[in-house]
Order: sequence, then C-alpha cells, then structure tokens
Amino acid sequence: MANAFVAAFEILSFGAIIVLIVLGLGIIASMMGIFNFAQGEFVLLGAYVTYLAYAKGVPIWVGMVAAPFLVGALGFVLEALIIRRFYAAPIVAMLGTYALGLIIRETVRGLIGGFYLTVPEPVGGSIDIGAMHISAWRFTIIVITLMVMGGCYLLLSRTSFGLRVRATLENPSLARASGISTPLIYGATFAFGAALAGLAGALIVPVFSLFADLGLRFLIQGFVAVMVGGVGSFIGPVAGAGVIGTLSAALPWVMAPVVADVLVFVLAIVFIKFRPQGLIAGKGV
Amino acid sequence: MGAVKQVVPADIGGESDVAMTGSGTARQGASLRKILPIVEGAVLVAALVAPLLLQDYLTVFATRVIILALFALSFDLVWGYAGIMSFGQALFFGSAGYGVALLARDLDITNIFLVLPAGTLIGLAFALLLGGFLLLGRHPSSVIFVSLGTLTGSYAADRLARGWYYLGGQNGIPSISPMTLGSYEFSEGSAFYYLVLGILVVVYLLCRFLVRSQFGLALAGLRENEQRIAFFGYKAQHLKAIIFAIGGAIAGLAGSLYAFHEGFVWPNMVGVVVSTQVVLYVLFGGSGTLIGAVIGTIIVEGVSFWLSDNYREIWPIILGLLLLLVILFRPLGLISFVLGERERVGSFGAGNKEKHDASP
Repeated sequence: MANAFVAAFEILSFGAIIVLIVLGLGIIASMMGIFNFAQGEFVLLGAYVTYLAYAKGVPIWVGMVAAPFLVGALGFVLEALIIRRFYAAPIVAMLGTYALGLIIRETVRGLIGGFYLTVPEPVGGSIDIGAMHISAWRFTIIVITLMVMGGCYLLLSRTSFGLRVRATLENPSLARASGISTPLIYGATFAFGAALAGLAGALIVPVFSLFADLGLRFLIQGFVAVMVGGVGSFIGPVAGAGVIGTLSAALPWVMAPVVADVLVFVLAIVFIKFRPQGLIAGKGV
Repeated sequence: MGAVKQVVPADIGGESDVAMTGSGTARQGASLRKILPIVEGAVLVAALVAPLLLQDYLTVFATRVIILALFALSFDLVWGYAGIMSFGQALFFGSAGYGVALLARDLDITNIFLVLPAGTLIGLAFALLLGGFLLLGRHPSSVIFVSLGTLTGSYAADRLARGWYYLGGQNGIPSISPMTLGSYEFSEGSAFYYLVLGILVVVYLLCRFLVRSQFGLALAGLRENEQRIAFFGYKAQHLKAIIFAIGGAIAGLAGSLYAFHEGFVWPNMVGVVVSTQVVLYVLFGGSGTLIGAVIGTIIVEGVSFWLSDNYREIWPIILGLLLLLVILFRPLGLISFVLGERERVGSFGAGNKEKHDASP
C-alpha cells in the first residue's frame, strides 16, 4: 500500500514536470505552428537564472519568480529579431530555432563549465502522511503546475488577450482586418511560451540540478507529447504531456527501464501515425 | 544500387512528356553551366593531393572528414533533393556502425567485401523500416511528423544503445579489429584515405546520375510541390520511401567505414548529436547540390579542428551564430556564392541536351 502510494506520487510528480515543460512548447506549437527547438534552452535559462540568484545569495524564490520574466523578455526580443522570419516555413523554423538553442546552450555551458550544479529546494523536507514520506518540493511543483495550467486556461478562454490570440490562430487575416495587431500577438504568445519554459526550468532545477544539457533531455519528450496530444488547441498538448509523463514514469516500475524508455517513444510514434490529429483534435482552447 | 535503377523507369518511365517541361530552365543556362564541374574538379584534385601535403595525423583527420562527407551526401539526397527532413540520419549511420562492430567482435568478420555491403544493407533495412512506416500509408504524412518521427527514432536508438549491455552500454564497443582485404589490414593512413575517397567518388557519381535522371526530376518536383506531383500521377510516397532508403544505405556505408576507421562505436553515433551535425554540414555547404554537402563537411570539420586547440569552448557558439546567419541570409548555403540558381536546379534526363541543340 505504502509502496503503491509512493509510486503513484512519483508518477504524478514526474507527469506534472512534463506538463509544465510542455505547456510553453504546446502553446507556441498550437498558436503559432512553430516547433521551437530552443524551448529546451529556455528551460535551461530559467534554471540558470535560479542558480545565479542562489549563487549571489539572493533568496532562491526570488530567482524563481524572476526567471519567467527574464526568459519571457528574451523570448519577445528573439521573436521580433529572428523567429518572425520563419513563420512561412515550419522546417526552416525548426532549423533556425535549433541554431538559437545551440547558441544559448553553449553559452550557458561556457558560463557554468561542464559541471552539475545543485540548487537547494526552497521548500525542503518532506510531508509525512502516516508512515509515508513524500518530498515537499515535488508536492509544491504539482500544486504550481495545477495553478499554472488553470491560469493559462483562464487567460486563453476568459480574457480579451486570449480571445485575440485565438482569433489570430484561427484566421490571421480576418484578425488583422478586425484591428488586432497580429505581429504583436505572435510576439506576446512566443514570449509567454518562453516564460512558461523559464518557470519550468526554475522549478525543476532543485530536482535535476543544473547542467548544460538539462533542456535537451526534455525537448524530444515534449515534442512527442505535443504531437500525441494534438497540435492546435491548448488542452491537447497538456493531455499529451499527461499521457507521456505518466507512461514514462510508470513503465519503469513494471519492466526494464531501457525497454520502457524506448517503448514510450515507439508507442507514441505509432499512435501519431494512426491518429495524426492527436488525442484531442480541433482548434481553440 | 541495381535494384534502384530497375525501379526508376517502372515508376516514372511513362511520364517523360511531363518531365520534359523542366528542361526549359536549362535552355539559356547552357553558357553558364560551367561552374559546377569546376568546383567539383577542384575539390577532387584537392582531395587527391591532400595526403601528399599533410602530415600523417592530418591524413587520419582528413579520412574522417571524407567519411563524414559521404554521410552528409546521404542527408543531402533526402533533404536537399526530395525535401524529406530526416533529423535522424544518424540512426542509419550508427546502426550500421554497431552492426559491423558486432560482426567484427562476435563473428570475427572483417573482410572488406563482407562488412561494407553488410553495413550498407543494415542502413538500407533500417531506412526501409523507418521510412516505410513514417512515409507510407493511407494518408500522406506531414513534414513535421516525418522530421519529429526521425528525430525520435534516433533519440530512442541512442537510449537503447546506452542501456543495452550487449551493445556495450555507455562505452560502446571499443577496439574493433581493422578491416581486411585478404591478409592486408586497412589501418589509419593514406591507404585508408584513398579507399574512402574512391568510395566517395563512386557514390557521388551514382548520386549525380540519380538526381539528374528522370527520377531526380520527380524528386525535385516533390520538394517544390508534393501535391502537384501527386496530381500528375506519380506515387509521391513511394518516391519518398525509395530515396529515403537510398539515403539510409549510403549512411550505412559511411557508418561502417567510420566504425572501422575510428576503431570504436559509441551511443552518440546513433543519436541526436550526430543527426544534427550532418544537418549542419549540409545547410552550411548548400543543400540541393551534392558538392555543397561535401564542401560543407570539409569547412565545418576543418574549421572546428583548426579552432579546437584554442577556442574549444566558443566554437559551438560561433557555429550556432554562423548557422543562424546562413539560414537567415543564405538559405542555399555557402555554395550559392559561386553557383547560380539556374545551375543549381540544372537539367534532367538523358536526352534533352540533343533536343536543345535541334530546336532554335
């Protein structure tokens, strides 16, 4: 019983981490049609900002709050300077964002060296329920993920900004004709997606520690999750992330980790092949 | 390659009327169509004399570059000519490398006439499997799906190789015995270099013939507008699967040469790192021209080697910046500085030269 509970918690917390990382990726892919290869590096930057705050003696949570804003601002600038040119060609966008990611990753690698740098958890210790202990920080991540998910959903479905984003997604020329500045909306959407990646990086760095390939590790999982969930909606990638995150955390409990690792990807690709629209088809929120 | 040649006329042989429309581009280009052979000849001459001028350790490095150029050729064929984004080309490169390494380790087979065809076949088989699955089917696959599917395949193979004890896990398979021809052993050096260069030239010429044939014209159409090609009655998905398999076979050949040259294989060889590396080579040099892939490999590897002593840390950053600049401002690669658009597109088919001369 206790074992099963711990396992369930592990699966849930890993699923939450994947959801958190995929949120930004999914929003950019769904709303803009760009598979952003630099997303993993935005995660890395979020983690790096948090580490910097810790190294400079500032409270860690300050770094965690600052990370999404800084990474979001960088995303806005990059969109205006570079990403904007790629909208017409999805493959060129992949290559261009890959180049961007390479630059960011290698710069961070130069800054931190080849080390694994640890950042302590701002909420330490564990929560005891009877005889079972679960990590307080992982629990916090789950709670924050739920809050961010809810917040994004409300932002896209209930606010005028969300309406503009959805209008731009569904019919850019009609949106422009209605007086919506689509370039600004694209810039804001990209910045928002980058900010979510920065937040994800800030939150996971105490769990995984900081190293240059931190983001790369999640990037392909994130892409697969977006495809499984379905590009075009907000809820699709989140659902896909839930499935992929749960599978990759759950399967190693029942089979050899190597097999489980590969099996998740094989299953995902086979699924996408036979259901290209993903779990949740259609546009909108 | 023989099987491929037989497939080509069966697929598109009856459609030469449609195909001939492409020859108009070459009409005025006849006077300009001189630069490409010059560039190709210059690279070949440079490659031929290189071992005479270079020190031994540089010849070893040059051999590696030539093998990687062969690998780049396979990616260029798939992306530059057919417009299939294969982000997992290393899967075929690396699996062939692992395959021949296992042959050498467990079965003691190192004969060049056995291992190279075996590596090529492994690459071909994997490419047929993956390409068949990703590209064929009732609905045409989106470019995004194919590119992410190949990327995922390569990543999954990397993870598998890292975790599988039989394949040596993280360390890969070290100290592969050298390739043999009778009692002669190919060790690193100029003999190996000329062997690899010879193979590259043969494969290059075969590719050149292929992309300038009617089949190549259909591929170019595929790259420009897949739907239109499908409406003309071509089986677009089959064409894609065929060229993907050919690319896989060439990558497999390169991978088996690489395994024997380096003397070891390790998980990175099937993974995302090498997959993206080959994309870099081809984008730099110029996709859609075969020589562009070769030149791109030579430049990227050469500069990387040259800078690695002093600027090891910042070289990847420079590489990223250069790549970004090339994508933004020179989407056709460095070769487009010397090569005009008309010459890059070129002409197709065997018979159309005579026709031009005949028509006023």
